[in-house]
Amino acid sequence: MIDASKEKKNKLIDGICKTFFLAMAILSSSFIVILVLFIFMKGISPFLPGYEFGQVNIIDFLFGTTYRQDQGIYGVGFIVINTLISAFASLLLSFPISVLCALFIVKIAPKKLSVLMKSVVELLASVPSIVYGVFASGLIVIFVKWLASIFGITTAGGSSLLAVIILLAIMIFPTITSMSITAIQAVDKDLENASLALGATRTQTNFKVVLTSAKSGIFAGAILGIGRAFGEATAVSMVAGNKLFGPTFDLFDITRTLTSTMLAGLKETSGLDYDIRFSVGIVLLFVIFFSNWLLNSLKNRIGKNS
Amino acid sequence: MSRKLKDSLLNSITYLCAFLGVLVLGSILIYVLINGLKLINVDLLKNDYWSKNYLVAVENDQSSTFECDGCKGYFSSKWGVSFIDEVTSHNEKVISVEYIAENSPFEQLTSLTAGETYGQIVPMEKGYMIEKIDYIDSEGNTAIAGKILKQDAQALQESLDNASSITSIYMKSPGGGIRGSLIATLYLILISLIISLPIGIASAIYLNEYADKSKINRWLRQGIETLTGVPSIVYGLMGVSVLFPVTTVFGATGTSILLGGLTMAIILLPTIIRSVEEALIVVPQSLRDASLSLGATKSQTIFKVVLPCCMNGILTGVLLSIGRVIGESAALIYTMGTFISDNPVINGPATSLSLMIWSFMSAEQPNFELACAISIIILSVVLILNIVVKIVGKKLSKNFV
Repeated sequence: MIDASKEKKNKLIDGICKTFFLAMAILSSSFIVILVLFIFMKGISPFLPGYEFGQVNIIDFLFGTTYRQDQGIYGVGFIVINTLISAFASLLLSFPISVLCALFIVKIAPKKLSVLMKSVVELLASVPSIVYGVFASGLIVIFVKWLASIFGITTAGGSSLLAVIILLAIMIFPTITSMSITAIQAVDKDLENASLALGATRTQTNFKVVLTSAKSGIFAGAILGIGRAFGEATAVSMVAGNKLFGPTFDLFDITRTLTSTMLAGLKETSGLDYDIRFSVGIVLLFVIFFSNWLLNSLKNRIGKNS
Repeated sequence: MSRKLKDSLLNSITYLCAFLGVLVLGSILIYVLINGLKLINVDLLKNDYWSKNYLVAVENDQSSTFECDGCKGYFSSKWGVSFIDEVTSHNEKVISVEYIAENSPFEQLTSLTAGETYGQIVPMEKGYMIEKIDYIDSEGNTAIAGKILKQDAQALQESLDNASSITSIYMKSPGGGIRGSLIATLYLILISLIISLPIGIASAIYLNEYADKSKINRWLRQGIETLTGVPSIVYGLMGVSVLFPVTTVFGATGTSILLGGLTMAIILLPTIIRSVEEALIVVPQSLRDASLSLGATKSQTIFKVVLPCCMNGILTGVLLSIGRVIGESAALIYTMGTFISDNPVINGPATSLSLMIWSFMSAEQPNFELACAISIIILSVVLILNIVVKIVGKKLSKNFV
């Protein structure tokens, strides 16, 4: 009899535990839904009729080419273009360097150097973005200023599109490299051996067989990297310069990204100027979502060809 | 021959790429070290950021002579105090008090500031900066001395030795320290871990121990994984819109450490869940089977057999989380504000170390030296955490192999 009641109690405890674990798991995964829901609710409120601080025209907002908080003009069209330019340009700059660095670490470097380089990449990955920001506004801007002076151009203290691109390229370098390392390590040894047996040199094999077989994983790294480039906020804000109109195509001109817009001149915690940041946040989420979708379908197409 | 040349060319390009990586890391480290190292000292850690102003009177006006054995700076034997020239972390030249002799009139200062503190005794300590001293010189004329006249320590000492009595002293306590932000960062780490750990561990247990491959469980996992892809600035928006009402229950009226901690807890969830799950996967199924066949219930097995085996995984999660909290800035700008507080309270605004950098880097005149000094602190903490994580990870893989 005692055993039966104990068993009952144990079963009850078991049930409670399972429900608790399940509840926590549901809570954890529901945050993403809550996040999207609330930001959407707050972000679209300025465009609805009857908005307390004066309704904003959604077409003007999405396609506008001027963003002036002081005059109440909010147009993010040019900011989206600026964000795309800076993110893709940084990917273009960082991608080849990252992939070749990964190839070096896995296939070419001597054992000790490879271990050292791996630690370097891990360290770069763990440097917080605020430190990158300090570095960028202290050193990268000086480099950009110097570069501009060679061409006889004056910059706004070095804050420029080019500074943003270099900064982002540095920041996404460890992401792409570590993903590429994983992808290159996963390449089938037989493929390499086959290539070597056919008389290809080590280097030819590395560049023509290893890299092409790992391209799917490398591409995944690029997608992850550009995600980071889109979402990077504090460091970019420090060197972007926040231009009021645009878009910016000149490398030495100041620019403005979606994230730097969300951080610029943040003072009050109510009013249109505050609520519109949520709308910019929605646009940022859309930009990330669409470029991810685009790159993913591109990745699948590349994967099929091989 | 030409192929060999081509091969070595390609190889050297990869060497160049790797070198670029080293170059970037090296220049970051060298940059922050060169600019920030001279500010790293105990005073930086224990001082307030804002310096306080005092207007005080010297109570004991009768002059006797004092001895100074081996003290630095310019010693006024008449008043028993010595001054040195210093440069603050804000790059400002100041005259600060280096030494106060026993029974010196400077030991007994009373506040002249109108209000509640009027007449109270102000303790003078080493490091206080003298702005201005009103005094009556030996000929009976009123005169002033101090930094306000662009005097240096030596000139101030000479003026004081010439004074027959001191009317008032205007001085500042040393500022530019990071004590408040350090405390706020610790609070932030504690709050975010206290909330995030139980939820994260429980979720990981459910996903690994209970969940079958049904559609709902796949969705749960997908939901958690999507969290990793969200930029941290968006979490900041979420914090102020979703979590702010929660913090008002605890008396917060605006941005607060609590709100920052809650937001960070959500940011940390995927990290903690992943590291705990990785440890859970390593625990051999045979251990669970043995425990169950001995008559233990499933929950007993989890709490007494499985969880103790993955302590390393939990520890890894905690260490990674601490690193993340210390480095986070974008989400916290929205939730904790950017006003540097010297006495942080949980339901009030404050800055973590990263936010402190942001706070004065986004000001009109960025203070690079202090920013680099704090960067050195952040980087060394992150570096140590990384090394510990690696050691813990090695132990983890040894346990069951």
